[in-house]
Amino acid sequence: MKPDSTDIAATAPDALPPALLGPGRDEFPEGAAEFADEPSRRRFLTLMSASIALATGAGCNLRPAAQRKIMPYTTQPDEVTPGVPTFYASAAPLAGYGQGVLVRSSEGRPTKIEGNPSHPGSLGGAGLHALASVLDLYDPDRSRGVIHRGTPSSWEVAVAALRKALVDDSGQPKNVKLRVLTEAVTSPTLAQQLTALLAAVPNARWVQFDAVSSANAREGILKAFGKPLNVVYDFNRADVVVSLDADFLGTGPGHVRYSRDFADRRKLRAGGKDAAEIAAGREAATPEKPFKEGIKSDHADALLNRLYAVETMPTNTGAVAEHRLAITSGEIETFARALATAVGVTGVPPGGALSKAAQDWVAPLAADLKDPARNGKVIVVVGDHLAPSLHALSFAINEKLGALGKTVKLVEPVEATVAGKMMDLKALTAELAARTADALLILGGANPAHTAPADIDFAAALTAFGKDPAKFSLHLGSHVDETGVLCDWHVNEAHYLETWGDVRGYDGTATIQQPLIAPLHGGKSAIELLATLMKGAEPGVPGSPRDPLEIVRETWKGWFHKKNPALTEEKKHGDFERFWQTAVRAGVVAGSASAPVAAALATTWATGAAASPPAPGASDLEINFRACPALFDGRFANNGWLQELPKPLTKISWDNAAYLSPNTATKLQLPKIDFRWTAGEHGRAEVSVLEIEVNGKKVKAPAWVLPGHADGAITVHLGHGRTRAGTYAAHTPDEPNAEGQPYRGFNAYPLRTSAAPWSAPAKVTKTGKTYFLACTQGHWAMAEKDPISGKMLDRKPVRRGSVTEYKKNPKFAKIPPMATGETEGINDNMPHPKGYKDHHAHDQRLHPLNMYAPAEGLAPGMREFQQRRWGMALDLSACTGCSACVIACQSENNVPVVGKKEVTRGREMYWINIDRYYAGNEADSNAVQAYFQPRMCVQCENAPCEIVCPVGATVHSTDGLNDMTYNRCVGTRYCSNNCPYKVRRFNFLTFQDWGTDTIKLGRNPDVSVRSRGVMEKCTFCVQRIRGAEIVAERELARWTGLTDAERAAMKNVPPPGYRKEPDPAKGEVLIKDGEILTACQAACPSGAVVFGDLNDPTAAVSRWKNEPSNYGLLAELNTRPRLTYTAVVRNPNPKMP
Amino acid sequence: MPQIFPKALNPIAKMIVLGLPLLGGLTGVTGAAFYRSSYATGQGDTPAQPVAFSHAHHVGQLGIHCEYCHTTVEKSGFANIPPTKTCMNCHQQIWQGADMLAPVRESYKKDKPIEWNRVHNLPHYAYFNHSIHVAKGVGCVSCHGQLDQQNLTMQSSTLLMEWCIACHRTPEKHLRPQKEVFNMKWDAAQAGPNPKTGKPYTQLELGLELKEKHKVRDAVTLTNCSMCHR
Repeated sequence: MKPDSTDIAATAPDALPPALLGPGRDEFPEGAAEFADEPSRRRFLTLMSASIALATGAGCNLRPAAQRKIMPYTTQPDEVTPGVPTFYASAAPLAGYGQGVLVRSSEGRPTKIEGNPSHPGSLGGAGLHALASVLDLYDPDRSRGVIHRGTPSSWEVAVAALRKALVDDSGQPKNVKLRVLTEAVTSPTLAQQLTALLAAVPNARWVQFDAVSSANAREGILKAFGKPLNVVYDFNRADVVVSLDADFLGTGPGHVRYSRDFADRRKLRAGGKDAAEIAAGREAATPEKPFKEGIKSDHADALLNRLYAVETMPTNTGAVAEHRLAITSGEIETFARALATAVGVTGVPPGGALSKAAQDWVAPLAADLKDPARNGKVIVVVGDHLAPSLHALSFAINEKLGALGKTVKLVEPVEATVAGKMMDLKALTAELAARTADALLILGGANPAHTAPADIDFAAALTAFGKDPAKFSLHLGSHVDETGVLCDWHVNEAHYLETWGDVRGYDGTATIQQPLIAPLHGGKSAIELLATLMKGAEPGVPGSPRDPLEIVRETWKGWFHKKNPALTEEKKHGDFERFWQTAVRAGVVAGSASAPVAAALATTWATGAAASPPAPGASDLEINFRACPALFDGRFANNGWLQELPKPLTKISWDNAAYLSPNTATKLQLPKIDFRWTAGEHGRAEVSVLEIEVNGKKVKAPAWVLPGHADGAITVHLGHGRTRAGTYAAHTPDEPNAEGQPYRGFNAYPLRTSAAPWSAPAKVTKTGKTYFLACTQGHWAMAEKDPISGKMLDRKPVRRGSVTEYKKNPKFAKIPPMATGETEGINDNMPHPKGYKDHHAHDQRLHPLNMYAPAEGLAPGMREFQQRRWGMALDLSACTGCSACVIACQSENNVPVVGKKEVTRGREMYWINIDRYYAGNEADSNAVQAYFQPRMCVQCENAPCEIVCPVGATVHSTDGLNDMTYNRCVGTRYCSNNCPYKVRRFNFLTFQDWGTDTIKLGRNPDVSVRSRGVMEKCTFCVQRIRGAEIVAERELARWTGLTDAERAAMKNVPPPGYRKEPDPAKGEVLIKDGEILTACQAACPSGAVVFGDLNDPTAAVSRWKNEPSNYGLLAELNTRPRLTYTAVVRNPNPKMP
Repeated sequence: MPQIFPKALNPIAKMIVLGLPLLGGLTGVTGAAFYRSSYATGQGDTPAQPVAFSHAHHVGQLGIHCEYCHTTVEKSGFANIPPTKTCMNCHQQIWQGADMLAPVRESYKKDKPIEWNRVHNLPHYAYFNHSIHVAKGVGCVSCHGQLDQQNLTMQSSTLLMEWCIACHRTPEKHLRPQKEVFNMKWDAAQAGPNPKTGKPYTQLELGLELKEKHKVRDAVTLTNCSMCHR
């Protein structure tokens, strides 16, 4: 039986109860538009005539607009203006850490997450998970009430049971063996509550368990400095970065900030210099206005940073590295010891033998790090999953290089613990199995029944414990998940957008989370749950039922007064009120970042380091476990956006796989067909299924050949194959996973052990079975066959070079002969310089051999109407391929999720595709380089799509947008046929979910929800453009509508709410740079996208487009794209092998 | 080959040849006429409302300013329907026992919104914005008609796209000084004599001047698809 055949019995052993399934179940009516059989000519005609008859009938809708209602408020809140969204600051938590966000509230419904520019962990950017968290709020499978042993109950009853179990008749806490299981906790309020509870109940213990934890890093720091600390890196000041399997640009609580800091050191800017000036390092004769982002090219090789990545599985970080060494996890420590010895660290534990490639790296890398010019501006960063001894070693190297305290900063720990009261999961499981504990509280996020290592059978222990009537177990979670279903009680948890809370960021900066909406299903937060056991701040019952706002305020009142002890009594209240309002509004508690610590390296940092791990046996491969870049540890498994997101680098949607290098695949004798890492134009790749065996546990996984993966190792992503995550993660009977179960992807947790949670020797065998994966890389390829030779043309989509090449010819990206007219053409997108005289009657900007007529609005005679000319520039040097823009766009523009089957037909609806291109020789993993190119509608000035639309549904606007009018579109798809960029998406089926109420709540009301039969594409976020234009035009009209006397009374300076008319001769524009941020631009963690008015020569977009390395994609077609790219310029070390 | 049809059918064949285009044309004309008829567009409709609110009384007779109730018309795309609280501001003092106002009191007491029937029912894909029209000097009356004379609110315009476009092509026909936007009785002659002609302003003369003054954008820009459809 083929894995994709539909005659597999629709068994769903772990089917959710129908009540929990909700209407979301039938979201993707499979094959709704497909003919069941191949249509004959007669049948086709029958259907066509029927459809014409039906269309006629449908057209006879006599009263086009259905009667609708308007429901005003009864009392309108002051801050609400219906039709104008409000933004609230908060923080999106992930694994205990928060990332500052601004949440858009449209008439009271949270509809979009953006980064918070004032939060140090965001600087305006946002990560994938923060952006997608708004969809979790509307997840139709969220638990909708309190459940006691499978039957609905209520919060009051649950609280009574909780109190009965933990508090005696006098209201004092009983000294029971209470176990509280959480993930990492940084919330000051929750930490305070737990501390008080643990103090009041001496027998209580706190278990922190994270499936994807930084425990090794913490232990390493403890070894290196003798006390618990956190590390904060300053990538903006680092000239050389060595990443030892650390994906600091893609994962971790600080990755958004790190991406920005790192990318700012890669944005090479000539600032108006010509080639000779760049090569000579001279100042420009006519310098452009200086600007803050990026670095100047005359110091290019000194200031452009350089990244060396040593890694097993290719990551976003490795993809942007100058030099990449692919070695197994086992070899990394050996390599690091050799490197430490070479830079002169003393007391390095002896390392084993190194492979030739790694050996060749050590000397030149060490020389680069030791270069006196670096002067400590280097960073050696180690992946959280690597051994503690390696972390300790990295601090020794950083210390030796003088980076400690400079680029590698130590701060007070961010996570909360209570000394002497902690317990690990293994001990807890033993207690539960023996039923020696009395009560268990599992608070938000932790799902050990699914994520616990294979040697800890938490699920069985909890089943036994949960069934014992004398024991109390309560699960607080957003879903009745694998853990929740085993507990006595399940309480539905409030989403972070529904309740008050607080959380700290990567550097300890605290954010007070404020609710934007009342809990949709009446959920409660962990803070509220614990408060039922508290009398004020102290444990004890009866506590008064308290608003979580009061609880959080209490914490911060205490913090504020402790920080300002000198305040007088009468000032205390007012000052706190001011502090509270500021902190809540800004989304940042000023002065709450963890204090820096000057710690010296302990002399014992190297003790206890194991000898370098032996290489796996000849028959074994090394298996590596990593969190899925999208689903993390599995908590986002029911998030349709993240499930469907083509994972960075692999571009696989809806699945995980066992990733391995081409050489390993050859060794495993996988068929050659598995080596198509683009999966072809339909994105449907039939691949071999492998059986992976670790410690006797076997799992079947599809193999995915990934160039650049270390030889001799495979990597699997955790987080897939959830059995109880919900509709989106399961219940696809015709799409079983490689194990034949009806879940999305395979579950890799059974292979993990607590002794070797991150990498272990594994036996891998070919099963001979196949499985199909959906991979989007081959979709909408811009490939074209040469009509004469029949060869595929290389369109050179990503143009790249080194600093040396750049200095020789900064315009290297504008390559002839493809783009003879391109250079001048793109520069002509810019306003003509001052004093420029147009001697020619015709518009010089038009190519003489133009194939496409200029758009009406942009025709030469129409130029005077172009008050604004929108353009976008994207710096490929800064792009790390993290895919945050894809999710941001999906959220902003109501882009639907289509399901795996439709993805394999090339029908996903993303407006932004991140293309991944490889360079180098795939047989040599170290030589493989990856490049990312986000591709969306480039808004051609001479748009090929427009001239073929028979109904004028896509036409040009005068400000240069390629407007797509959905209500005019009849679905001929001529436009997408004629689009050379292949960025138009067609709604083949009704992909939008019109039925699920909660999903409807989360849509952006400013963007039409497209239905079946309509073409769509990137609009440059036209709703944001028009929104900003309306504000600006309104203010302008108010000012110009005043009489001269009125303006004189205002001293000719427009007050707020008014705007002066710009003077185009001075290069002034009405809408200032930065007033409009497109969704992708706002989200981009590395700030690689700029958008603005090309009429403004000082706007970032104009300056980026004037860079010599700026080029237009397929510009040789003379489409005159408004979106252009800045070529990748990297700074390789010439001495490296 | 024998003829299939008898000769007597020839006139009928001719009539069909002549009649078919006529029939086609007539169908088209009828269709277009129906599409534009007030039956199809809803022009002139006065939907029943839960409370028989009269603009004629509140605006025409009492002279309450539009913005007393529709507070967001200058700030937002949506000119809000007033919250029940706004009604109660007055009706706690006057007519506090009137039967007609029972649904208002009910709504206020129970904190349940009054469900008004929408009169101006634009399609979902048309994003009309009140604030910009008001700012550029399009009077309420231009679209909503003489509200000061309407008892139940009536749909004064067709709301067809051609009606929108007509004004976007020649906005000067509907522009007035910003201070007169809410004035139900204004006409161009009130702007006084035109210094150029010496005669009272005509709408077109004043409109063209105001178009310049209020920086109303050109017709090509104003008829871009994405101006209204997003």
